[in-house]
Amino acid sequence: MADSSAPQFRRAVVALSGGRTDRPIVALAAEVAKASHAELVGVHVVEIDWTLPLDADVAGRSEDAQRVLDIAEATAEASRYRLETVLLQARDVGAAIVDEASERGADMIICGLPFKRRFGGDFAIGSTIPYILKNAPCAVWVVREAMPEEQA
Amino acid sequence: MIGGRRPLQGRKIADKRVRVERPHSAYFRYAGPGQLVAKPAASVPRSGLGRQYLRAKAWLIGRPLASEDEITERLSKRLALPIFSSDAISSSAYATEEILRVLALAGAGALFLSIPVAIAIAVLLTVVAISYRQVCRAFPAGGGAYAVARQELLPILGLVAAGALLIDYVMTVAVSTSSAMDQLISILPSIDNGQDHRLRIVIAVVVIGLITVANLRGLRESGNIFAIPTYLFVGLALLIVAGGLFHVVTGSVTVYPRQPEAMPMGTEAIGMFLILRAFASGSVALTGVEAIANGVPAFKPPEAKNAGNTLLAMAVLLGVIFIGVTIIAREYDIVPSADLSGGPTVIAMVAQTAFGTGSPLYYLFQVATALILFLAANTSFNAFPRLGAILAEDGYFPRQFGFRGDRLAFSWGIILLAAIAAGLYIAFEGNTTRLIPLYSVGVFVCFTLSQTGMVRHWIRTHESGWWWRMGVNAFGALLTLVVLVIVLTEKFQGGAWVVAVLIPTLVAMMLFIQRQYKASARQLAIRPDFVLKPAMRDERAIVPVPGLTRAVVRAVNVARSIADDVLAVYISDDPDDAHRMRERWERQLPGVQLVIVESPYRALAGPLMAYLDVLELAWPPGKPQPITFVVIPEYVARHWWERILYNQSARRLRALLVGRPHTVVVDVPYRRDEGDRFHGLDADPHHEGAPTDP
Repeated sequence: MADSSAPQFRRAVVALSGGRTDRPIVALAAEVAKASHAELVGVHVVEIDWTLPLDADVAGRSEDAQRVLDIAEATAEASRYRLETVLLQARDVGAAIVDEASERGADMIICGLPFKRRFGGDFAIGSTIPYILKNAPCAVWVVREAMPEEQA
Repeated sequence: MIGGRRPLQGRKIADKRVRVERPHSAYFRYAGPGQLVAKPAASVPRSGLGRQYLRAKAWLIGRPLASEDEITERLSKRLALPIFSSDAISSSAYATEEILRVLALAGAGALFLSIPVAIAIAVLLTVVAISYRQVCRAFPAGGGAYAVARQELLPILGLVAAGALLIDYVMTVAVSTSSAMDQLISILPSIDNGQDHRLRIVIAVVVIGLITVANLRGLRESGNIFAIPTYLFVGLALLIVAGGLFHVVTGSVTVYPRQPEAMPMGTEAIGMFLILRAFASGSVALTGVEAIANGVPAFKPPEAKNAGNTLLAMAVLLGVIFIGVTIIAREYDIVPSADLSGGPTVIAMVAQTAFGTGSPLYYLFQVATALILFLAANTSFNAFPRLGAILAEDGYFPRQFGFRGDRLAFSWGIILLAAIAAGLYIAFEGNTTRLIPLYSVGVFVCFTLSQTGMVRHWIRTHESGWWWRMGVNAFGALLTLVVLVIVLTEKFQGGAWVVAVLIPTLVAMMLFIQRQYKASARQLAIRPDFVLKPAMRDERAIVPVPGLTRAVVRAVNVARSIADDVLAVYISDDPDDAHRMRERWERQLPGVQLVIVESPYRALAGPLMAYLDVLELAWPPGKPQPITFVVIPEYVARHWWERILYNQSARRLRALLVGRPHTVVVDVPYRRDEGDRFHGLDADPHHEGAPTDP
């Protein structure tokens, strides 16, 4: 049952990093989407550095990239919900996610924020989430990973 | 792959991105390096007819479930109780009557013995239930008596138990359907006037069909469907027992007036044999107790514990209802109705003592009784396919019985059970009396074998409390053996001999199947040290050509991709036609060798086979024979009736080639709608207006 306090949306882009947060955010998004029959689009971006052309055949041959999307799809299926998956190649992950959300008319971008345990522990916010927060054309839902003391 | 897309422009000039096509994602999911998992879309038939069939099937039995959903299909104790216990619990509806019928042969004075006999049966039930609860824990993979006897006694005794159980499950479906129909006919006599049984048979077969479909829909769904009638019966029966016992305890019992249809009292002497017969007849109450032990893996984890507790709940419910009904029947001086008199059943009269005649609760109970008798068949629909799957796993049953269908049910077992039970019902015209002698023999064979096996189990394992557990099992084995001997003696003439013949027949059949599987496994096995070496043998391709058609061109192309040595063979009974064929062939397919075999006797397959023999003989001696690929061009029919028109020779040829040493048959289909791939090869309408039969 979806939490009534969870943000509502019609179409959401779920940013998939390939990390620990993917499964929980897809499951959460699926639960929330169920109530309003919203559309879910899982986006995984493979960053291409400047030494290669943008359309180099990298992601298509990468089993890791396929796995990220397939696992997300399977997680959504386990919640009995459909997740459309998109694999992108781009120079900048945050920009690609924002542009994809903008092109698809998404009214929500959902991102996972992992907790880095090493060096005393902190949230690994990186540069992608701040970029999305700054440039997104819609609401952004950042779902943080539980901290070790919360998991215990 | 990139899919040929140009980079998409983002909102800022430098922000470009490329969408990467994932062609596999529609049909497969990545599961690891070099490993894919098929999605439901991969199993959808390509043809329109196939898709329609799939839709109809999904409508009838539900959408296919993935194997990983098996755990969600497992049964909670609440659902397992009605699924696995309807057979056992439903027997409380007639077990008391069976005892009273035997005792009445010695007159009204003997009826008081019904309570001690019922208590003895309850003791037996307790022993059997304890024993099977132990079986659930010791054999969590299921299989019940078969598994116990196979492991603890002898494999052949396991097969005897399996054969007996299989027969009993079939009989349970036939007999319970038949007795439920009797119950229904007592409310609606127009169903069967005693002369014409057709309507009765049609209704019964439809009910068996409905139960089959419900079971094909999967365990959980059938549990949901069947739970309500079972719980309704149990609830009302407990209400009757509680009310009746209250009257007995408070001394407010009013004797039930003797009904005109009451059976006449006999004059036999009360003796040990009569009491044992009453005990054996009442022991039908125990049928179905073993079903839970067969289906332990169907329970939610912890499987063995949940199965054991469900079995306990079932035994308690059965025991309470059975003893309660027997006490009430005795205290109210209820006498069974004479056979075929149309009088009320004992359970109906007991219900009247609690609810009164004609009250809504009375009718509700009658309906619930009829329903639970129908649903007793459902226990077999769960136990039979599971036993079949276990036997298939052990190699004693055809392997397809171990495959799960779309809804994770063992579809083959379900359908086979339905077919045999319906056939039996039709053959016996739904006559319960004629079916009964075949019933309950098998189950006591299993009880005896499983308990004897458990005695050996305790001696072997010496687990804690082994001595008292062994004592219980030994006592139970002795009791059930006694019942088996009585049941067999009493029913042998009436038809139990059929079971005595069928069990060894089934055992022989299972041994035969196992021998076949073992033999084929031996023939197909490869040594553990075998490593495939690079191909060393020569290869050649032979293309039998019926003319020069697009199908032939495609087959020749396929043959060229298989081997360098390609030979087309044209069989002709007309030298002029052969000459024309060669001319055309050399002009249009240069570089592909054509051999023309003239066949003055107009045979096609024979000369081709002979030509292959000649090729083989011509191969240099001492050199390993080459692998000969016979590449057969085939025209794919679009409609079923077109299959009659085309490919008859190809079919005949294929049949002749199968099993030929060093020969591989390759079919190359050509579809009519593939014509656009043959630009420049358009047929000469005078020669190739229609494809010839290859």
